[in-house]
Amino acid sequence: MKRIWLPLTLILLLSLLLVACTSTGNESAPAEEQSSAATKETAPAEAKDVVTWYQYDQNNEDPASDERVGNEYLRNTIPQFNEAFKGKWSWVNQPKAFDKMTTELVAAVQAGGDVPDIYELSNTQDLVDFYRHGTAQDLSEWAKAQSWWGDLDPAGITACTGPDGGLYCIPMAERPQIVYVWKDRYPNGFPKNPDEFMKKAEELKGEGLYAMTFFGSTDKGGEGVTRAIWTTISSFGGSFDDGKGNMVLNTPENIAAIQFLREIVAKEYVPEIAFAGGFREEDAFKDASAGAFPTGLFGYRYLNPLTAPSGKKYDKGNAEDMLDAIAAGDIYVSPYLSTEGNKPGCGIDIAGFVIPTGAKNVEGAHDYINWMMEPEQNAQWVAAAGGGFPVLKATRNHEIFQAPLYTQASDALAVSECRPWFGSLQRPNEAQEQIMNAIYKLIKEDPTANIEEVLTKTQEEYNANN
Amino acid sequence: MQKTALPRSRKRRFQNTLPFWLILPTLIVLLVVQVYPALYTVWLSFHEREPKGWVYVGWGNFQRLFHQSLFHESIGHTIVFLVGYTVITMTAGFFIALLLNRKLRLSGLYITLLFIPWILADIIAGMVFRLLVIPDYGLLAGFLQNPAIFPPKGLSVLTAVPPHPWFGDFPFPPAPAMILLILASSWRALPFITLLLLAAMQTVPTEIIESSRIDGANGRQIIRHILIPLMLPTMVVALFSLTLTGVNSVGMIFSLTGGGPGTSTEVLSYLLYTIGWNQLRFGRAAALALMMAIVNWLLITGTLRLTRVEERSR
Amino acid sequence: MLKINPLTRKRLNQMAVNVAILLVIVFAMIPIATTVLISFKREQDVIRKPPVIFPCDTPEKSFDLRACRWSTEGYYRVLAPKPSKTSPLGFVLTGNMLRTYLPNTLLYASVTAFIVVFLAGMSGYAFSRYHFRGYRALMTAILAITGVPLLTNLLALYQMGVILRKADLPFWDDRIFIVIVYIGFYLPLSVWIAKGFFDAIPRELEEAALIDGCTPLCALWRVIMPLAMPGLTAIFLLTFVNVWNEFIAAYLLIAKNEYKTAMYGLYDFLGQNIINVQVIAAACILIATPVVILFLFTRRTFFRAMVEGAVKG
Repeated sequence: MKRIWLPLTLILLLSLLLVACTSTGNESAPAEEQSSAATKETAPAEAKDVVTWYQYDQNNEDPASDERVGNEYLRNTIPQFNEAFKGKWSWVNQPKAFDKMTTELVAAVQAGGDVPDIYELSNTQDLVDFYRHGTAQDLSEWAKAQSWWGDLDPAGITACTGPDGGLYCIPMAERPQIVYVWKDRYPNGFPKNPDEFMKKAEELKGEGLYAMTFFGSTDKGGEGVTRAIWTTISSFGGSFDDGKGNMVLNTPENIAAIQFLREIVAKEYVPEIAFAGGFREEDAFKDASAGAFPTGLFGYRYLNPLTAPSGKKYDKGNAEDMLDAIAAGDIYVSPYLSTEGNKPGCGIDIAGFVIPTGAKNVEGAHDYINWMMEPEQNAQWVAAAGGGFPVLKATRNHEIFQAPLYTQASDALAVSECRPWFGSLQRPNEAQEQIMNAIYKLIKEDPTANIEEVLTKTQEEYNANN
Repeated sequence: MQKTALPRSRKRRFQNTLPFWLILPTLIVLLVVQVYPALYTVWLSFHEREPKGWVYVGWGNFQRLFHQSLFHESIGHTIVFLVGYTVITMTAGFFIALLLNRKLRLSGLYITLLFIPWILADIIAGMVFRLLVIPDYGLLAGFLQNPAIFPPKGLSVLTAVPPHPWFGDFPFPPAPAMILLILASSWRALPFITLLLLAAMQTVPTEIIESSRIDGANGRQIIRHILIPLMLPTMVVALFSLTLTGVNSVGMIFSLTGGGPGTSTEVLSYLLYTIGWNQLRFGRAAALALMMAIVNWLLITGTLRLTRVEERSR
Repeated sequence: MLKINPLTRKRLNQMAVNVAILLVIVFAMIPIATTVLISFKREQDVIRKPPVIFPCDTPEKSFDLRACRWSTEGYYRVLAPKPSKTSPLGFVLTGNMLRTYLPNTLLYASVTAFIVVFLAGMSGYAFSRYHFRGYRALMTAILAITGVPLLTNLLALYQMGVILRKADLPFWDDRIFIVIVYIGFYLPLSVWIAKGFFDAIPRELEEAALIDGCTPLCALWRVIMPLAMPGLTAIFLLTFVNVWNEFIAAYLLIAKNEYKTAMYGLYDFLGQNIINVQVIAAACILIATPVVILFLFTRRTFFRAMVEGAVKG
């Protein structure tokens, strides 16, 4: 038995050594790019930390990581910021999982835990939760005094305004939902109404292809609702609430939309992988087996590498693949279909910055935002980190946004009616999961279930908690 | 001797209270980490967090919990999981123990290999099984997603919907993802249960078996009428132990199914995580935790009582 | 019909049993073997439809041993070695897993195991040797806590952690909290096992030492401890492995990224590498291997601990 104690003691010593080495190793790390995750041990250093929470990780150099575009953006931009504010501020980023960031922030503020100075907002609906929990600071006074205030798109400002009129986020990018379409699959444009769609889908099915793919799983807390599901529902004239905070699902328009979805799933116009979760639905679009993909404009950063129906490969492995494909005409951006009397639907989101309650370095956060409002930085952020149209109108003239992706997208938006899916709902994250579960059940799990019953049950359950 | 007159009484008091001092640190830690949180959970279950702070809501949390259809569905899933898990593990464990009982010397290598599933973390085991069934790329996916073997479109375990329930809303028959969860959990628990049953089997005196064999009993009869009755106390302990771990195991679900396609693997333990940390409704989660704690408590006291019976029967 | 010699029948039986056991082991190992296999594949071979088990096929033959394309790409991505001029080996491993998460796990597991051995040893000895009033009740109470799962207490523990963090005590650390939680969680079982081991040591030895002029503490140290070593080692190993493998508490109770454990790192990996299964497989193997190796060398102690802890009731 003595033989075991020796190795065991060695293990303990080794572990203590390792821990000691790694914690000092973090400070003596040679590379400047390697910003250690929030080591507040900047004892003698003058620069104070500006802590940010992004869904991107600057230390993740994995070329196959999901967030490689954002990761690279941070890798390139963090040194620029530190250079610009040398001796004053030091940008330290803590990567977080995108579907857990919101609850983590709410919990951190409540818990008095580590609260960042800047929080990357990528879902407008999070603001509803933040407002309820007092998580975000009111920035209206400070923002109105800034030079860029007048140049912001009013729609963005409205999205960041809380029920009490306070400004709880600084809008940076508008992220609408559109449809990416392979030209060779839909040479005459994306269908304008359900009948056209069904006909075309049947054709594609005959060729062994799928009409479209979409985020159909219940993964990520029901995120699918905010994408193609809402696009379809609003295209049929439906909605999820009554304008007063009550969930209303059982309407003829919603039922028609769900029946449409049910049909295309049953007839196999949609690949099975659309329900696999983990963003696997994108695979079907990337290899062109699915002809179209209704998703957010921001999606273009993730859709790579691409293989066109003609066999041409776009395989740089970064956001340029989509841009190249669109510029070459292999892919185009289209509005969704719609039913009689309705405009094509689309969801819309704002990406921007939140300064959480209890942030330690508000001054640094202010400087950070101002720096991000500079023309070049703004354009870079919106293109790589935000993924959408700039809210700052001046940035729209930047060359990045003259690319066909953006011109086509704004054309698509001009004919669509874009509004946030959650309307007046007060607990959007909860609603999202409930609605997605219900719709998943209706279109995939139990195609014979009574739509009205399930919808009524879901809305009653939500409203009971109001 | 005079030197030790006074100190002796102090020493004796120390001696007499030595056990107290020895146990005290343990008690303190247990009070802080186990007892206090249990009481806190009770308090939590009658409150809910508003932006202003904690607000007393009486039975509100329990009511809201019972009104959630997901709660009832979750109970169904848990029952299906427990039944499948315990039955498969006990049966397989029993037969493997039977096999191992014959072999008098088991090489160390065999035992180690057999026990590796038990030594793996639950989240790793979940990952290992997930790798087998990842849609399109999993090693078993080629077999499972073959339309010829599983009409009509092949079986993609992680996205397959459960078949139509046979009894009203009760989620039976289980979704393929649930079956996978049960198999993975059984795979992991098997070595431990096998060892338990083997140890129990080996306490059965061989004379009884020999004499019954002489009396003409065949293998099956020996098992049914001799082995099982004699092993029964241990088997029941094993059963309770399995149920206890089954009710509370949650790590595997994180890596294997994440709640399952839709909600088909959302057992009570995972529901607790969802309500508490995804929806940030701590009060309601505490209500659920309280109910689960009561179930656990019943199981534990049941086990304790049975093991006392078992010890007395020895 | 050949009259089967009883000796041959016995040998056939033995063979059948051996074969059956072999089959069982194969089934037990298949998932792990496949994981190891996947971890050595290249990305192109991992994303093939339909999937191939061995990346050894060429356009002509479906299996050609010489054409096997093994690769350590997965491990490369997990460990992320970068060329470095300062390190003696010429490169430094920068993967998060190795730099942050595994050392944390090692730290928590070792510290918890040591403290648990210490506390459980004392308590087990006390329960075994001193039958004071109410000892049975106390023992039962501690046994009852053994089964209480971490899950149901996690909510309260989380809130407690929140309050403690807000209190901003100078020496406080997330790590102290999680270690205390782990100690509290694995203590009851360890006390149980310790008591069992101490019970097995005859009191005569102690009494002989006392007669020889030893104080009770001296008897404890010189006589009992060496004999209890196997039991204490068993407790250490059991606790060490349990803390190493623990996921849900680490996931929920540790807030700072740099204090998180390897299991959390693995879960995080899964989120980012849905398709890159060779990376996930490599990470699994890397995290599981230390424990498996430990188990290989100490399995007898484990079995004894398990049997003590479970069968004995």
